[in-house]
Amino acid sequence: MLKGNAIELTNIAVGYGDTPILRGVDFKVKVGEFVSILGENGAGKTTLFKSILQILPLMSGKIKIFDREVSNGRDNTWLRSQIGYVPQRHNQGNFPISVFDATLLGRWGSSFSYFKRPSAEDKEITMEILNTVDLSHMLQHDCRRLSGGQTQRLNIARALVRKPKILLLDEPTTHLDAEAQNKLDITIASIRKQYDLSILMISHNQSHALKLSNRVVHLSKGKIHPGLGVAL
Amino acid sequence: MSIIEFLQVPIFQRALFAAILAGGTMSLLGIVIVVFNMTTIRFALMHFGLLGGAIGLALGANPLTAAIAAIAIGSLLFGPLSDKLKLDTGLIGAFFMTGSIALAFLLFYKAGVPALDVFSLFTGSILTLSRNDLLFITVLGTVVVLTFVILYKEIQLIFYDSEQAEWLGVPAKRIRNGLLFLTGLSIGVAMKIVGALLIDALILLSAMAAMRLAKNFKQLILLTSLFGMVTTTGGLLLSMVLDLPTGATITLTGVLILLFSTFIQK
Repeated sequence: MLKGNAIELTNIAVGYGDTPILRGVDFKVKVGEFVSILGENGAGKTTLFKSILQILPLMSGKIKIFDREVSNGRDNTWLRSQIGYVPQRHNQGNFPISVFDATLLGRWGSSFSYFKRPSAEDKEITMEILNTVDLSHMLQHDCRRLSGGQTQRLNIARALVRKPKILLLDEPTTHLDAEAQNKLDITIASIRKQYDLSILMISHNQSHALKLSNRVVHLSKGKIHPGLGVAL
Repeated sequence: MSIIEFLQVPIFQRALFAAILAGGTMSLLGIVIVVFNMTTIRFALMHFGLLGGAIGLALGANPLTAAIAAIAIGSLLFGPLSDKLKLDTGLIGAFFMTGSIALAFLLFYKAGVPALDVFSLFTGSILTLSRNDLLFITVLGTVVVLTFVILYKEIQLIFYDSEQAEWLGVPAKRIRNGLLFLTGLSIGVAMKIVGALLIDALILLSAMAAMRLAKNFKQLILLTSLFGMVTTTGGLLLSMVLDLPTGATITLTGVLILLFSTFIQK
């Protein structure tokens, strides 16, 4: 198993246009660690994710993933193979697509693309992941007809299907009822173990964050503040 | 006259060929309109066509060519402008529509272009297609089908989740803009085939009906194409047999299919 830091941010500043939302952020997630970020709406939690994903360019500072600098934007293909991202997405839009296809397409660019069709291995991995998130009985189901909990488990499957080592979760349990939330928590805990994941999760619910993670930090006024540490 | 007798007349042969081809292929672009929520784009592009037609008449050029050229230019501008102005593609349509119609009316007034001549562009008929029109429909239809076949996975990913598509490295914006351009061109052609006011029947209604019934992308493509073909071909044949106006019969067939899809949808 890898050692050291999965994610390492050194003095980063990032924002939209010329206005920085985050400034002077230093932050680490160790390999295998599960860290939750709490913070007010608009504190910059999603912005932090977008900077790690290289969707937003850095104004200054450095980002390392498994000790490899990625903030120059040149290693995006490698970066995509390391990080799975589950954005906030509570409905599946209006487009008809099957659960299997929606998940399989998450592997685009890793083993198939324009003129290369998905292989038997791609389909096997898709099946395995859908099995893990308990959606294997709904392969041909239209995504538009999924419940909130099923939608989130599908979103996780779509991120996991690339077999990443890091998972970024953006408020995965928001808008779910207690039962669906519990089921999702169990899924998250089990995939973490099964795939040796390092996880960074944005949450708005302190007790939920404490329940799942090793460590909770707070993001406010564009900076990260250490929060409660929990030994699991 | 029976259908067999009709089909011995070259005009009807051409019309039937165009109905099958345009109905089966251009209807696919309706999916683009529905998924991107761009119902205003049709109106916007039609008004762009009106402005183009007015410019054509003012300059003494062929107004239909000028109208289609204006539509092509408009559809090229749509995606990039909506990104630049950070407006959603639905709203940018309203912006285009009002701007172009105002300019067209200024032109009618200043250049003395007879407005009725321009509006007559909007009453096309499938029975007046020339050989060149057919060639254009064939080329455009082939490009549309090839685009959907070659970029099958990528288009599916963009329609489903364009943010994820972008993050995975799919050039989502470029593909979307390409689809918008093809949509614009097809609207131009549809204007000629069924008349601009009946464009929905050819491009939009089939996709709307198929969206309700399909469970995945493959079904969506096949059903849209099938409904498109049934709409245009069925409408054309019905109008011949029952001696009804072609454009209106085609449109009504499309409406009936959409109505039918809402009944059988579970």
